[in-house]
Amino acid sequence: MEALSNQILVAVTFTFMAASVLYLCHWAFKSKVFGWAASGVTWAAFAVLTLAIILRWVASHQMGIGHAPFSNLFESLVFFAWTIAVIYLIIELVTWMRAIGAFTIPLAFLAMLYALSLDPAIKPLLPALKSNWLIAHVITCFLGYAGFAISAALGAMYLATGQAKDPASPRALVLDNLIYQTVVVGFILLTAGIVTGSIWANSAWGTYWSWDPKETWSLITWLVYASLLHSRFMRGWQGKRMAVFSLVGFGCVLFTYFGVNLLLSGLHSYATGKS
Amino acid sequence: MSQDQPRKPPLEKIWDFFASVKLSFFLLLLLAVLSIAGTLIPQKEGAAAYVRAYGEAGWRFISALGLQDLYHAPWFVLIMALLAANLVICSLNRLSLTLRILGKDPAQEAGAMRKAKDSFNLSGEPGTNLDRARRVLERLVGPSAQAKDQERTVLFAQRGGWSRFGVYVVHTSVLVIMAGALVGNFWGYAGFVNIPVGQSVDHMTLDNGQPRPLGFSVRLDKFDISYYPNGMPSEYRSEVTFIDGGKETQKSSLIVNDPAEYQGIDFYQSSYGNDLKAMEVDLVRDGKKQRLTLKARAINQLPGGAKAAIQGWRERVEMGAMYNGPVARILYQEAQGEPQAYTAFTPGVKMPQPGPIKFEIVKLQTEPYSGLQVKYDPGVWFIWVGCTMMVAGFFIAFYFSHRKVWLRLGPAGQGRTRVEIAGATNKNRLGLTRLLSRLAHELGGGPKKAE
Ligand code: HEM
Repeated sequence: MEALSNQILVAVTFTFMAASVLYLCHWAFKSKVFGWAASGVTWAAFAVLTLAIILRWVASHQMGIGHAPFSNLFESLVFFAWTIAVIYLIIELVTWMRAIGAFTIPLAFLAMLYALSLDPAIKPLLPALKSNWLIAHVITCFLGYAGFAISAALGAMYLATGQAKDPASPRALVLDNLIYQTVVVGFILLTAGIVTGSIWANSAWGTYWSWDPKETWSLITWLVYASLLHSRFMRGWQGKRMAVFSLVGFGCVLFTYFGVNLLLSGLHSYATGKS
Repeated sequence: MSQDQPRKPPLEKIWDFFASVKLSFFLLLLLAVLSIAGTLIPQKEGAAAYVRAYGEAGWRFISALGLQDLYHAPWFVLIMALLAANLVICSLNRLSLTLRILGKDPAQEAGAMRKAKDSFNLSGEPGTNLDRARRVLERLVGPSAQAKDQERTVLFAQRGGWSRFGVYVVHTSVLVIMAGALVGNFWGYAGFVNIPVGQSVDHMTLDNGQPRPLGFSVRLDKFDISYYPNGMPSEYRSEVTFIDGGKETQKSSLIVNDPAEYQGIDFYQSSYGNDLKAMEVDLVRDGKKQRLTLKARAINQLPGGAKAAIQGWRERVEMGAMYNGPVARILYQEAQGEPQAYTAFTPGVKMPQPGPIKFEIVKLQTEPYSGLQVKYDPGVWFIWVGCTMMVAGFFIAFYFSHRKVWLRLGPAGQGRTRVEIAGATNKNRLGLTRLLSRLAHELGGGPKKAE
């Protein structure tokens, strides 16, 4: 069953690639047909990805080491792709602006592609990782990251489609509002993620905050988005600056997610040695 | 503001400075940027590590700025204090405004209708439509007030006024969390205990190395490790008994992620290992062996006036094909002579050994111990209360808004009623627009809108 789940994940990756191409065609050629096809393919990819995650969960139980599939980088990337798809599809249902897919679904594809380059084996959990708070932590963090990913995609779209030239146009206002709304969703979930993470740390190590680089970077990300939310109350920060801000914020998210492990662990041996 | 009134008294200028969102925007970003430095420079290492990595001059720079413990450096704490002051003053500043908005008399508000967003005619005199209009308004929005505007009547209703407090809940939560951190810093302490199986301890070792009495004893009754089929550990479990005033008062079982609490002090499963009690060695001299038992952590008086102590030991050292087994450093001193250190291995090993004598390890007497993290933090409840407030406050601040709705009914001639609708909100204009068109629809005017 583990093998089956992994094969499905490969198929899902290519489906996301196909969806990305279709959304890009839809955006480039303004063609309804491509748009419908892109949505259909994305829904299919999402459904099958959900199935693969459930299969992986079941497989871990059959192996006698049952745990929710959110425990390592591979599983988190797969779940990240899933959360991006969920939030994007909700936005599509609400706004019917399919051009957004051209900027967001490629992110789901890239997350899956990265996952495929890693070892997919299901491994037993270390004692410190056995906690329901950890599951809540991973789910909230990644939904939050997906909110930020989509706000950054919207920010890129805002800049790439030249909305800054006419920031008072209805389309620019809708995009601006969507950037803000997705940041709000991301911010609430990131906050919940940091809180559940510190509850977990408190029960595992007796300290809710220890300023390790990963924690600190999540706080940096949080502070950047907190200042973005306050920039709304200062004149002149809507529109283009907001779009750029959402990209900077997502840069912090990416660094928190990947950069800390890849770049800082050389200096901080304890960054990886804790769990 | 300050351009309009250039002659403000200095105190008021300071107040305005601390009340501005610009300052908080700047402070939040500043904290973010400065925090990055603490993730690039390793924190809380020894001075030698910094000298090795950055050189003497680098280390002087780092220690002058406190970058080796950046998040507790006075200037970093000061910036956080500025943020707190910013929050308090900004909130006080706005609170009076918020209270004034919420305290407005609804009858007066009814008399101050905004610009109409929608209007339509209904059949029937205004007098006959008024009751129905009020019922619809009260059902969709809330309790209504009424005012006269010449021969027309204005109905006013509002809802969600309380949501204006959401932002204060969020901002207060930040202060509560900061207070929790301070309380923990001043009144809390943390350290560890290592308890050998079957024994008890009544002191802990604080993180700075100092001992601290617990005020009771903890006995480790049992320590267990369970394993997955592939050999990875799946659980560490310590069974402990708390003993207070000579009486067993509480038994607890603690595993990773599930600590035990006694008298407000928390114990966390954190490590385990083997502790050396004693070591049997052979002292080999001219091919003759003498069996000795050396106690750990003691100077052992040997027959003939010699002394020996175990300086260090490892249960297992792997040196490829050369050696794989226990190693000990033994300090040995003849009755008249200088102390000398020897490295001891198991017998039969081909290791170059200096001097006429050598030690061979025969047997290690070890006892397993469980390492528990110990923590007392009276501030932790502030943290959880603050976090809950913050998330709840977010939902209020982001997803609820204060909406005001006005309906004006007046004669339109020929026995008909002219209805005008106006609204105001502090955020989410889209939501207000939807509410107004639903109201228009239910009153029987305006196009049918999807909702
Ligand atoms: C870590 C600290 C802070 C957090 C987490 C925070 C959070 C928030 C949130 C969630 C909102 C609602 C935003 C919205 O409705 O779009 C808000 C609004 C606001 N914040 Fe903060 N804030 C912080 C610090 C500050 C500080 C230091 C000030 C001081 C000036 C401040 C001033 C304001 C103001 C004026 C508003 C607008 C209120 C309104 O009219 O809706 N905030 N803040």
